Amino acid sequence: MSTGVSTQEPPESLRAEVKAEEESFLSDEFVRQLINVGEVDILVGVPTHNNAKTVGPVIQAIQAGLLKGFPRERAAIVNADGGSRDGTPGLVTAASIDDVRRTPNLHALRTLHSISTQYPGSPGSAPALRTILAAAVLLRAKASVVVSPDATNLEPDWIPRLLQPVYREDSDLVTPLYRRNKFDGLLLTNLLYPMTRALYGWKIREPYATEFGFSGRLASQFLGREIWNDESWQSGPQIYFTLAAMAGGFRLHQSFLGSKVLTERSSADLVPALRQTVGVLFSSLEPNFPVWSTKAGSQPVPTAGPDPEFTLESLRVNRKRLREMFVVGVAELEPVFRSILSPATLAELQRIATLGEVELHYSPELWVKTVYEFASSYHKSVIARDHIIQALASLFRGRVFTFLMENRNGSAQDVENNVESLCLEFEKWKPYLLEVWNGGR
Amino acid sequence: MRELIINELTQAVHEITREVVRFLPRLVVMLIIACVGWLIAYLLKVVVRSILRLTKFDKLSENVGAAQLLHRAALPTSSELVVRLVFWVAWIGFILVGVNVLGIVGLEPDISRFFLFLPRLFVALLIVFFGLLAASFFSRAVLLGAVNANLPSPRLLSLSVRTVIIIFALSMMFEELGVAEQTILVAFGIVFGAMMLGLAIAFGLGGQDLARRFLERRFVHPKKKEEQEDELSPL
Amino acid sequence: MPLTQDPLWYKDAVIYQVHVRTFYDSNGDGIGDFQGLASRLDYLHGLGINAIWLMPFFPSPLRDDGYDIADYRSVHPTYGTLEDFKKFLAVAHEGGIRVIIEMVLNHTSDQHSWFQESRSSRVNPKRDWYVWNETDSHYQGTRIIFLDTEMSNWAWDPISKQYYWHRFFSHQPDLNYDNPAVREEMWDVMRFWCEMGVDGFRLDAVPYLVEREGTNCENLPETHEILKELRHKLDQQFPGRMLLAEANQWPADLRPYFGNEDEFHMAFHFPLMPRMFMGLKLEDRKPITEILQQTPEIPPSCQWCLFLRNHDELTLEMVTDVERDYMYDMYAQNRTMRLNLGIRRRLASLLDNDRRRIELMNGILMSLPGTPIIYYGDEIGMGDNVNLGDRNGVRTPMQWSGGWNGGFSAADPETLYSPLILNPVYGYPAVNVLSQKRSEHSLLSWMRRIIEVRKSTAVFGRGSMEFLYPANHRVLAYVRQLGQETVLAVNNLSSAAQAVELDLSRYKGNLLVEMFGGNIFPRAGNSPYLLTMGPYQFYWFRLRKI
Repeated sequence: MSTGVSTQEPPESLRAEVKAEEESFLSDEFVRQLINVGEVDILVGVPTHNNAKTVGPVIQAIQAGLLKGFPRERAAIVNADGGSRDGTPGLVTAASIDDVRRTPNLHALRTLHSISTQYPGSPGSAPALRTILAAAVLLRAKASVVVSPDATNLEPDWIPRLLQPVYREDSDLVTPLYRRNKFDGLLLTNLLYPMTRALYGWKIREPYATEFGFSGRLASQFLGREIWNDESWQSGPQIYFTLAAMAGGFRLHQSFLGSKVLTERSSADLVPALRQTVGVLFSSLEPNFPVWSTKAGSQPVPTAGPDPEFTLESLRVNRKRLREMFVVGVAELEPVFRSILSPATLAELQRIATLGEVELHYSPELWVKTVYEFASSYHKSVIARDHIIQALASLFRGRVFTFLMENRNGSAQDVENNVESLCLEFEKWKPYLLEVWNGGR
Repeated sequence: MRELIINELTQAVHEITREVVRFLPRLVVMLIIACVGWLIAYLLKVVVRSILRLTKFDKLSENVGAAQLLHRAALPTSSELVVRLVFWVAWIGFILVGVNVLGIVGLEPDISRFFLFLPRLFVALLIVFFGLLAASFFSRAVLLGAVNANLPSPRLLSLSVRTVIIIFALSMMFEELGVAEQTILVAFGIVFGAMMLGLAIAFGLGGQDLARRFLERRFVHPKKKEEQEDELSPL
Repeated sequence: MPLTQDPLWYKDAVIYQVHVRTFYDSNGDGIGDFQGLASRLDYLHGLGINAIWLMPFFPSPLRDDGYDIADYRSVHPTYGTLEDFKKFLAVAHEGGIRVIIEMVLNHTSDQHSWFQESRSSRVNPKRDWYVWNETDSHYQGTRIIFLDTEMSNWAWDPISKQYYWHRFFSHQPDLNYDNPAVREEMWDVMRFWCEMGVDGFRLDAVPYLVEREGTNCENLPETHEILKELRHKLDQQFPGRMLLAEANQWPADLRPYFGNEDEFHMAFHFPLMPRMFMGLKLEDRKPITEILQQTPEIPPSCQWCLFLRNHDELTLEMVTDVERDYMYDMYAQNRTMRLNLGIRRRLASLLDNDRRRIELMNGILMSLPGTPIIYYGDEIGMGDNVNLGDRNGVRTPMQWSGGWNGGFSAADPETLYSPLILNPVYGYPAVNVLSQKRSEHSLLSWMRRIIEVRKSTAVFGRGSMEFLYPANHRVLAYVRQLGQETVLAVNNLSSAAQAVELDLSRYKGNLLVEMFGGNIFPRAGNSPYLLTMGPYQFYWFRLRKI
């Protein structure tokens, strides 16, 4: 005769916790460290891979931010490392404040743990994020924040700004707002922001963020999903996380931080950037179809801090090369485009590709149709999906060229207006997406 | 005299009739087998068609790019193709079994050879199929990569990759079928070798300057490279 | 049981702090007295304590609970006579209990005859016994101690028309220690009591004896000289008597009061006490370990005096502003509980009447290096009454039983010196000695047991101290050692169960014997020693190599 066994489903958070432990994704040593840290109110996650040059000041800024904004709360810094060989983890753990290691100039009421672990497999943002989420769920952190290790201009203030809405106002996701140069982050302003806004109905400026805050609720929900073995978004978990929050009805918030730090990437990295963002965005459309297909228009998200204005310093820009690559792309990739785009759109693209530098205008309407047709072709897998993403690079360059030409003399407000009208264009043509999604081209 | 001829004729007719009569059941049996075979082949066709529909074979072949290939070759869709192949192979198989029953000596080894040949035919077709797929995929990958890296003449690169892979696949197919094995092998070797040699000479002689500049840029003047890049960061 | 003759008896002492007024009323006037206290010595003996610290009982107008003394050689009539005191002393000594009394050196009541004479005229021989001045501008910048009531350290005397100096209440003028006559007289007072048989003196407010211009008038070298003089005389004439310093200072500033074993024998460790409460609320050992790391070494014959609560407010002078705000928010949400940069609540009410937390704090008190002091009533978990003024809320009558006046007095309740605690949680029907004596599992019985365990070894009072720093910061662990005896104390400061791994490789091969139950725990080895602990639980292990 057995004793009564509860047949009730364990709560969501517990299930996620159990999954996290069962999968032995976390090493025994890390689990031991988590036991020693115990329950925390705030968790700061830092994913690293060979960042010894920049991580030191970042950690110091995090410490200062925690002591200033949350002096009484229990906090921990968790570093998910991909196998650094330059001593990065050591730099992170040296920042602990406890009775063995005291920082002479900082007065802390409590012990501040700073722990580090190496996640299995090759370095990547997905396993790093998973480790941080698992730590946040197991330590029952009420609010957590992820900080990029090469954010060299990170101010201590950024930490409270990303955490307060979650910790004190019950938000689930806090995305940053940066002061950017008008020509910086064009993939965001011309594709990611307008499209996620049009589809999911929320005006989130930075859906792909390297610094963001989130609640324990969102973490345990995301951790519990059966997605960690799915390849399609492993390269870009950040945007997937944002999309999951937007689609899942979680409470969103934006906080102004400061200027966006520029890492040493160049525009040659366009294809990987597209894979990390647009690829993930497109692949998320299918499972989220019931959510975005019924949304219309877009709503603002509660925002803390000033609306960032574009800065107008001039950047070195090779417009000629952009146009050339666009024209060459349209010409050479015609067979590929024929599988992806509708005949009308392709014809229009070919027409504008013949125009000179001054007349070439990749209009918002054409761009929107291009993107939507790409999305629906991606959904139907007309050719290998990765090839679809690669093909988009050429057309994006054409769009960038037009944007640069349009805004080269514009004021910050003009640029903002142009971005806004592009967004409205995306929203206007949403029914077109639904049309090509279901039917033929 | 007439009676003899009539007798012989009658005997011959009797014999023929007897032969025919003896042969007829076997013919009937063969026809029955053929009909049954047709029925079974048809059922098989239906079953295979539904299996393919369930496993979304068409979608799969679209994914891999085979559908486009077939469409361009004015062939029916891949599942239809498979279904028809299954039908014909099954029916022909049954017919041959029937023919076997007829007991026509001399045909038997040929019949068994036919049946032995079938798997190799199947494998050869598969090789061609996958070869075409690979050609399509890789040529497109090279095309996209070349365009995005701003390399010169991407179409040419793409076409050459496609050609090489198709030739490769065809050679493998012929080898599998056992048709003119040696010829194909040697021809392939010659063509491939010649291509490589030609490319080497072309690049070596004609591309001297280019090669020098390339190496210089990579190893001697890394800064110069940066000047050509712009400061835009997509994210 | 006779008294031990060991000159270092104070290192093994467990001190009970009590005011004679609050303990037991034998003559029905509503105020406790010495006869009553003597009659209750059995109870204290049963509890296991071996020293009593008596709050001031000299004649006094009682405007500062007896710290304003009007006559140094007598007993306040409401508490009894000098004879009663002598009898009490005898009974205490018979029971093996030593007696420590208050000696307020720094100031007297303004009702004391010395001050009456001093203020009568400017040329009175005793004029110079106090600190007089024309203006109130001297000793600028000296901090005011009773911030809630006093505005200045100078008070105007309308009789002799001059200002007099007072570090405490204005009715407690400071004695002038620059005057040799004052020093002579005070030594004579102490000799008087020593001859009677008193075992030790708690010298109240010692940092403030001497004032000098341009200083903060605290801890001055001249003050130390005077104290050394007193100690010298005491050692010569009355060896084995003890001097205990009350100096609310940072540990580094306290060190000079031990001198070179030529000043005080003991001193209160004030800064540790609020940090124990802070560590408990934070569930983090950092405040405790930090203050003890900053505590300097003291001479071998000297000893720290540790306490959880006392008759004063829980002082928050020796903490940072952030820490003080935290303590106020956690322990004194209600502003009436706050007084003079402190919190005026009893132990049980500070800890939410949580038995586990009370046990844990007592466990830490009894195992840290020093002599523990138990404030009367805390052994049964008495509560406080914040509605009584000043610090009187923690000085209510001792609760002996659930009956008439809580068994404290046969007088009418209205005549008692202080109202009793009546609420259903802490009131005398709920919290009293009689009912707790009946139960093996009451707080009183538990206190008896822990005192017994503490006294079973000299390690706690005399041993060395070394912290272990397990990675789990919610566990406070340390090792006490004296000769061959080693004791490991592990305390879980958290309200949740904890797992902790201790590095006991230095004690490899030792069996752990849990001191309350006597059961053996696994041997210590090279690999980390895992202990799982319930909420607020603590372990004391004796390490034995067999």
